[in-house]
Order: sequence, then C-alpha cells, then structure tokens
Amino acid sequence: MDIAFLANTLAQLLRGAPLTLELAATSVGLGFVFALTLALALQSAPATIGWPIRAYVATFRGTPLLVQIFLIYYGLGQFRPTLQALDLWGFFRQPYWCAILALTLNTAAYGAEIIRGGLQSVPHGQIEAARACGMPPWTVYRLVILPIALRQALPSYGNEIILMIKGTSLTSIVTLLEITGVAQQIISQTYRAVEVFACAGAIYLSMNYVVARALVAIEHHLSPHLRVPDIEAAVAIEGGLH
Amino acid sequence: MVERGAGVNADPRAAVTVTDLHKSFNALEVLKGVSLMAREGDVVSILGSSGSGKSTMLRCINLLETPDQGTIRVGEETLRFAKDCKGRVAAPDRRQVERLRRGAAMVFQSFNLWSHMTILENVVAAPVHVLKRPRAECVAEAEALLAKVGIANRRHHYPAHLSGGQQQRAAIARALAMQPKVLLFDEPTSSLDPELVGEVLRVMRSLANEGRTMLVVTHEMAFARDVSSQVLFLHQGKIDEQGPPDEVFGCPKSDRLRQFLAAAR
Repeated sequence: MDIAFLANTLAQLLRGAPLTLELAATSVGLGFVFALTLALALQSAPATIGWPIRAYVATFRGTPLLVQIFLIYYGLGQFRPTLQALDLWGFFRQPYWCAILALTLNTAAYGAEIIRGGLQSVPHGQIEAARACGMPPWTVYRLVILPIALRQALPSYGNEIILMIKGTSLTSIVTLLEITGVAQQIISQTYRAVEVFACAGAIYLSMNYVVARALVAIEHHLSPHLRVPDIEAAVAIEGGLH
Repeated sequence: MVERGAGVNADPRAAVTVTDLHKSFNALEVLKGVSLMAREGDVVSILGSSGSGKSTMLRCINLLETPDQGTIRVGEETLRFAKDCKGRVAAPDRRQVERLRRGAAMVFQSFNLWSHMTILENVVAAPVHVLKRPRAECVAEAEALLAKVGIANRRHHYPAHLSGGQQQRAAIARALAMQPKVLLFDEPTSSLDPELVGEVLRVMRSLANEGRTMLVVTHEMAFARDVSSQVLFLHQGKIDEQGPPDEVFGCPKSDRLRQFLAAAR
C-alpha cells in the first residue's frame, strides 16, 4: 500500500471538504425553511395553493437529483437571453448557485413531506387543549404543534440531512470542486481510481458519522418525555423537595 | 352574528349563561335548544346517556364546537350565534372567542396534557403566553396549585411518566392556573382505572367546597348527588329534567331519567 500517495490524496481531497459542507449546510438550511413553509401552507391553505405545492413535491421527489442539477445548470442556460432580460443570468451562469438551487429545491420537497408527517402526528387533543385555554393560532403552533411535530420529524429529517451531504457529490458534474470533484481531478492525473475514491468515501463516512452522532445527541436531548425516567435523577428531584 | 356587552338574562350573579343552544353535525342534530344558567359557586352536573349531547354542550361553551344558534355568556363575554338566510353560521370573532375561553377552562376526558412539557411547564404555559403574566409569578402560583392537587413532587416529570389520576390532577391544576370564571369538566374520570377515580373526585370536591363554579359532565352518580347544586339530565339533545340533586335523584319525573338512574345503579 502506497501510504505516501494515500496521505497526499487525502490532504488534497480535504481541500474540497469545506465546499461539500458549505453546499450541504446552505441547502439543508434554506431547504428546511422552505419545507416548513410548504408544510404549513399545505395544512391550512385552500386547495388552490395546495395543488401546486403537491405538484412541486411530486416532481422533485420523483426525478433524480442529477437530472435536476443538469436541467437547472444546462437546461436554463438555453434561455440565456430571457434570464439576462430578467437580470437573473448572474445567478444562473454560476454552477455554485445552480447547485445550491437544485439541492435546496430537492431537499425542500422531501423535507415538506417529512414535516407534513410530523404535523399530522400531533395528537388532536393536545391542540384542542391549547385552543381551549384561549391561545391564538400562532401561539398554538409555537408552543404545542411545532415542538411536537418537529421532534417527531427529527429522525427522518436527520436521514435527509445525511442524504444531502452525499448528494452534494453530484454537483461535481457541473464543475464544482467539492470532494468528489477533486477526486475526479486527481484520478484524471493519476489513474488510481480505487485509492482516490476509497479516500473520498472515507471522508464522507467520517463526516456523516459526526452528523449522525450529533443528531442522536439532539434527539436524546429533545425527547426526555419519551424515555423511561432516570430513576436516580427522579429520586434526587423528589428527595430535594422533602 | 356576534355581540358584546349587555348579557342575556342578565342575572348579576350568573357566571355562565347558555340560551337556546343548537348544534348539528351535518344532518345529525345533537343539541336541540338547551339552556342553562350557573351562578357563581354553582356546581352543575350534566348527566345523560352517550349520544345525548352532553359533551357537545360543554364543548360549545368553550367554543371548541361552534354552535349553530344560541347565546353563550361567560363572565362579561357574550357570543351570539344565528344562521344567516343561507343557513350558514358566521364564524365568531377570533379574539372574542379567545377572551371567552380564558374564562372557561376545560378539563378533558383524556387529560390532553402537552406531552413535551413537564407538569410544571404545562401549568405555567397558558398564564404566561395567554394572560402575559410574569413567569416567576406564574411558576410560584403553579407550584402552589400542584401542591394543592397533591402532585408537587411530580412537577419536573413529563405527563407520560405519571399515572392517569396524577395526569388528570395536573390537568385540573393547568385549568386553575388560568383563574377562570368557570371550570368545564368533560367526563374527567371516564378514562381512569377505578382505583384512580377517587383521587380526582377528591380534588373536584375540594374545588366545589371552595366555591368554584363548575360544569361537570359525568357518570359519577355519587359525585353528582353529593356535590352538585343543580343536576341536568340530557336526552336526545334536550334537557329532559333538571333541578336540585335531591329532587332529580329522589323523585325523577321522566321515565327516561328513571331508566337511566336504574341502569347506572
């Protein structure tokens, strides 16, 4: 095994890691805001707003992310004069922003479905109890519906975050030099695909391991009400009261 | 059609007045014109077989169901409902509904405590976020209320970690924290194991003795007989019989009430 080559490759690939993380963080962040908006709109909006949202979700869930990236970067490039007229060309001529847009739209479609499921899981009685004490609708959402729905959605949403981190590798196809893009560059110079992709895979694996651990920790922190209480802690609390 | 201000049947001591309440679910008419009046300190027990409309009536008073017709007055707040010429009921003003609900706290059959909050947080939430009172004050009050219902040592636990009886007592504390004009109990002991019913009824009796105004939909005949100042018997969406408990239980006039009481024994 060529340790020196592996070490060198790893060092080069890691230079692509900030872009990978940036793409994932930006799209997951923006996607979450968009997904939450869509899911809430689906809950309360009339059918006229509901069906375009469902069409959007169906389209972006039903087509491959790679195709979406192609269509946004190369497809919209066909309409350059129109985009220039609309003053949007500055955005769409850059692969970075096209990638962000594709990733965001993709994850928002999945996220909207995940959050919708979470919203539906909120027990109706708890919503009624909130309304019954005179809470205005937004307070009911803030104090009761969203905290329960988002906790419920968190495991699935965590899955989606991990999928998005891996999904950023597809943006190498529109020339972005994130981890996979850098890997392809090295391979085109060295023809040592196995070692390079093994290194790239190891970097994704360690990133996702950290994210998965963080998600477990967050989930644990947010769900004491779903666990059997820590007997010793409970005894300590009660003991302090007597 | 919503009006504020001057009440109907304005009895100055009336805490709750309900006049000619109608409610249908699609074609099914559940309430066919019921009226009741509870003065401050009254405990009104509402009896009836399932499907008689007793729970719907209670839920209408808190506006969890919107009546088709009738007037509801809690404290100073009056809401009037009527169908327009097309047979539709205009949605009541949201803010007025919220004001009325602050005065009419609800205790549910299935407790409905907020599962992600501790017991203390459950009791503190509404006074802080609805009445906009300072948190520290609300916490102190909540702790006193939890002590009163006998679960102070459970205040940092989550609802799922409490027994049914403890959960319902917490739900009563949550209702009391709003300092409501009237407490509405919707079959508060019906989902409890028999050995847990007593602890909830004990709390309710002590509230009655304090002079709290309470409307109680219940199947607990002993409670209704001992504690109520007034008993209503609902049958098929109408008040079939009403009066002081001695009369209603002692010499029921209608056949249906006699049958109901015989079956409950």
